[in-house]
Amino acid sequence: MNRWIREWSVVGVLALLLAYLAWRAPAFFQLQPLLSLLAREAPSLVVACGVAMVIIVRQIDISVGSQFSVCSVIAGLLAAAGWPLAAVVPVAVLIGGSLGLVNGLLVAWLGLPSIVVTLATLVALRQCLNLVRQGEFVNLPERIQWLGLSQSQGQWLLVGGAVGLVAVLAWGLRHLAAGRWLYAVGSDAEAARLAGIRPRAVTLGTFVLMGALTGIAAMMNVVQSPQVQPLTGSGLELKAIAAAVVGGVAISGGRGTVWGVLAGLLLLACISPAMVHLHIDAYWEKAIQGLIILAAVMVEGLRRRRNHAR
Amino acid sequence: MTRSFVVSCLLLSLASSLGWSAPDSKLLVALLPKSKGNAYFISCKAGSERAARDLGVELLFEGPVDSNAAKQNEIVENWITLGVDVIAVAAENREGISTALRKARREGIKVVTFDADAMPDARSFFVNQATPQGIGEALMDEAARLCGGEGEFAIICATLTAGNQREWQREIERRRQERHPGMKLVAVRPCDDLKDRAQSEATALMSAHPKLRLIMAICSPAVPGAAEAVKQAGKKGAVRVIGLGLPNENRRYVKEGVTDTVILWKTEDLGYLTVQAAVALAKGELKAGASTFKAGSLGEFRIEGDNILLGKPFLFNRDNIDQFDF
Repeated sequence: MNRWIREWSVVGVLALLLAYLAWRAPAFFQLQPLLSLLAREAPSLVVACGVAMVIIVRQIDISVGSQFSVCSVIAGLLAAAGWPLAAVVPVAVLIGGSLGLVNGLLVAWLGLPSIVVTLATLVALRQCLNLVRQGEFVNLPERIQWLGLSQSQGQWLLVGGAVGLVAVLAWGLRHLAAGRWLYAVGSDAEAARLAGIRPRAVTLGTFVLMGALTGIAAMMNVVQSPQVQPLTGSGLELKAIAAAVVGGVAISGGRGTVWGVLAGLLLLACISPAMVHLHIDAYWEKAIQGLIILAAVMVEGLRRRRNHAR
Repeated sequence: MTRSFVVSCLLLSLASSLGWSAPDSKLLVALLPKSKGNAYFISCKAGSERAARDLGVELLFEGPVDSNAAKQNEIVENWITLGVDVIAVAAENREGISTALRKARREGIKVVTFDADAMPDARSFFVNQATPQGIGEALMDEAARLCGGEGEFAIICATLTAGNQREWQREIERRRQERHPGMKLVAVRPCDDLKDRAQSEATALMSAHPKLRLIMAICSPAVPGAAEAVKQAGKKGAVRVIGLGLPNENRRYVKEGVTDTVILWKTEDLGYLTVQAAVALAKGELKAGASTFKAGSLGEFRIEGDNILLGKPFLFNRDNIDQFDF
């Protein structure tokens, strides 16, 4: 229990928020809007888990928003050209993985700082999209929305799928050797190398996985609406990093769980609709989200200081 | 010097290959959009070509492919070298383009702006497609009409701080107080220009305000975003959607009856009026201080100061939306 205190503290704050909403704005808990909210956050959750793993290996990826857009637009264009969903999804994952591979090669093999590399790819990919699409929406064929299911079936499937993915990632990080390597490399790359782990390969693999997850997330978003806006996903990197940090992933690497990320994302995602339900001016929203992130970082700082003193 | 000479030779040969033979008597009008591949400006172009035909002038339509302010300067410089008669610009960057435009004016080239203005001293007239007052009144009047004069409505904007968005909101509020006091604004939510975010915001608005009658989306991605939310909530007809946007992005929702009205201006008319004004300016028929301007087949337009006003915004709805493709 003590080991997961950081994750449980986020769950506690979330529970407090929900309890307050139940008291002051019970309309928040209507099934259909709530299911919509969760389905709309499912893609962000998948991306946030990927970002969390990148942070665990002591790197950062701020290009995920642009990767997300590129995957969404290409998937949209293929679907519009008549490709079946069964072919579009693997292509989206492949494109995401390739974009991750580019970041990974630059970071792991050339040893460039990931913040600079992914800043460059963030801007470059976004500009490419602007150039090609001029902001024009991609119209999707009817059969794509909700994967051909009914709306509520589709939404349940997306929410279930995202949570299932979190469970698989959580299990893999905990029980697979490859999962443990992430923590080893993030804690101390040199020690990991001496222990026979190849830090570069682990870093590269993490970036590729990040990209593939972004591809999956893009598809989870594309199937929720009949149009793709090329700007989609802009700002997603900040949301994902915030969810990871609030969820207890140490920005200095080597620590964190994807379950924590789930709690962090839910907390941040509930703020906006909660403000609408509590009739609070939207001006406060970013301030409150900022305070939550600040609190998370401070807790992290205190924890490190305590460990240091020990 | 040599470089600009080479550039002008290249441009001249290019222009002649495009069918523009001798720069003799025909007036040469150069139109610079923010981005030349954008559907919005392509439909402006259709109107400007019609005006050029009506007036018997040559038209150059050139612009960046990606809303690039530096590239706009470069194109203006090239046009100065080429010696066009009049330049019409939709400025990507208000200050950025003005230096090049002042230089053009010193060289004797007439300058007007359209769609997005430059600094006032860098051009003679601005063809203003919509005043904040016109937009605010059109939105509020249409909202009140759809709600029968009373009910709750909410606004989804781009950001809370954007200048134009705030100005429109002030005009909406002024009109509401003056004409439609039965309408009640219950919330203003930002969507960061993201359709997906607008959809989430609209969903939250509907569940938090069960008596909500209408969502007014005042940035273009928010209109289809709000419409998708209304559709998914099964509230088509119960919660109306109107907003500022492009017909193409909203066509499916307008046809399905989810979105009632999309408000913008006729972009073809904007292109037509711009070229008419540019040519009149070059011929000396349009002078500072004029209060009206007659633009060919479109008739008379009002001039306020140095702004030529396109007039009231246009309402796209189920009956007319198929006549427009942008």
